[in-house]
Amino acid sequence: MNDGLTAGHAFLAVMRRDLRIYLSYRTRLVSQVLTALFSLTLFFYVSRLVHVSGFASHGSYFGFVVVGISLIGVLYSSFSIPELVRQELIAGTFDRLLLSPFGAIRSVIAMSLFPMMFSFALATLTLGLGYLIFGLQLHWATVPLAIPVMLLVLLAFLPFGILFASLTVVVKQGSVGTNWVIALLSIVGGLYFPVSLLPGWVQTTAKLQPFTAATDLLRHLLVNSSLGQSPQTSLLKLVGFAVVLLPASIYVLSRAISFGQRRGTIIEY
Amino acid sequence: MSARPLQVAEPEPWSREPGPAAGGPAPAAEGAAPLCLRALRKRWRKDLPLVLDDLDLTLEPGTTTWVGGRNGVGKTTMLRVAAGLIEPDSGSAEVWGIAARENRVRYQQLVSFLPAGDRGLYARLTVTRQLEFWARIAMVPRERFHETVQRAISTFDLQELADRRVDRMSMGQRQRLRIAMTFLPDPEVVLLDEPLTSLDTEGTVLIQAAVAEVLARDGAVLWCSPSGEHLDMSFDARWMLERGRLVAA
Repeated sequence: MNDGLTAGHAFLAVMRRDLRIYLSYRTRLVSQVLTALFSLTLFFYVSRLVHVSGFASHGSYFGFVVVGISLIGVLYSSFSIPELVRQELIAGTFDRLLLSPFGAIRSVIAMSLFPMMFSFALATLTLGLGYLIFGLQLHWATVPLAIPVMLLVLLAFLPFGILFASLTVVVKQGSVGTNWVIALLSIVGGLYFPVSLLPGWVQTTAKLQPFTAATDLLRHLLVNSSLGQSPQTSLLKLVGFAVVLLPASIYVLSRAISFGQRRGTIIEY
Repeated sequence: MSARPLQVAEPEPWSREPGPAAGGPAPAAEGAAPLCLRALRKRWRKDLPLVLDDLDLTLEPGTTTWVGGRNGVGKTTMLRVAAGLIEPDSGSAEVWGIAARENRVRYQQLVSFLPAGDRGLYARLTVTRQLEFWARIAMVPRERFHETVQRAISTFDLQELADRRVDRMSMGQRQRLRIAMTFLPDPEVVLLDEPLTSLDTEGTVLIQAAVAEVLARDGAVLWCSPSGEHLDMSFDARWMLERGRLVAA
């Protein structure tokens, strides 16, 4: 019990550390808010051009895409873990985490907390700005349900970040593969346009990963868009990915660290 | 062996208690030593000679041991293996009879490692925040957390630097902070790799006092530095690392 509490404090300490480091760069928050604002402006005007069956109005495409760009921030945050691990390797702080009783594995998981929580806050801000400035029509009756679903989405996305972090421990490169994976997932996950526009075989791919289910469900809850599959199916998919992939990714990370310790490459960067 | 130069001061009440990270008296297996390295072998590549070649080293309770040797001879590798950072090809490292593979958490609670160089700090955090963070991941119990951090600040004379960010500190100040982090969780075994780098005389005195505290609780200190350095200081045992093995200095 006491150990659990102490470990809980250590998790929070990692999150607080990342928050402090983030806030020490004073223009970073302003820059991210401006990016969100300009993205919204861009897609607000792009939505004026869109005439696709399935979207009743320009506003409905705008709602569709705003949820997409909110989610891509969450996607980026989970894929930022490898880069964070690389920074720790370069600074020599990864050694300290590894040699602490808290350990490297718990530290890497803890490292994901701040970026994921921050992406959640930024997604909320994006939706808020969309509502306040661009008249985004939110479906208030189901908006509160989006919060637990978003937390589930974070858990379902987290394993992908941990898997790439494991790769970083071995190959020492932070962004190896992550950029093209994010670009690919933004296409097959239907972040900017409906997956129904994609060729049939790509649509099958879209069903095999959690991002489509996440966007589908969150869009339904936030802007009342129609569902591609039942909410139960989407939820099951997200739970399934979290339950199966999370322990698997943690195992892979532990193997990657052991490999580095055995080969002695854990100290390299 | 030579006489111990580090004067062991009468310990403060806190130093008589088991370390907060240790959670109890350190000794585990009967007859176990604070640190025991047995038949360590490590080779970086097949075409390179062994860095550690059946290396044996035992640190007795309440002793300091110095290991010297020319650059690149394997001192840091030996310390990294002892710290549990890297694994040897064969052989074992045990702290009070516990191997890192058997009980990693306990092993890391008992041993603390100061790597050479100036890395291992978060540039954008202040001294206090850095120590607080380290105390958290060292899993210092909540009830001793603030006391432990404050003690580290006062022991290593970091009061004036407490609110200063690391990237605004000199190399010597950073080294003092790194040393404070190393001793913060009251480890039983302390592994120091070139600890005097960038330290001024005052810093050297502080580290000697910290070492004395470890010895007072029957811990042990392994101190590595290049040959010819700090020979004015005496240790309970002195060794030279040559061709992967320790020979008496």
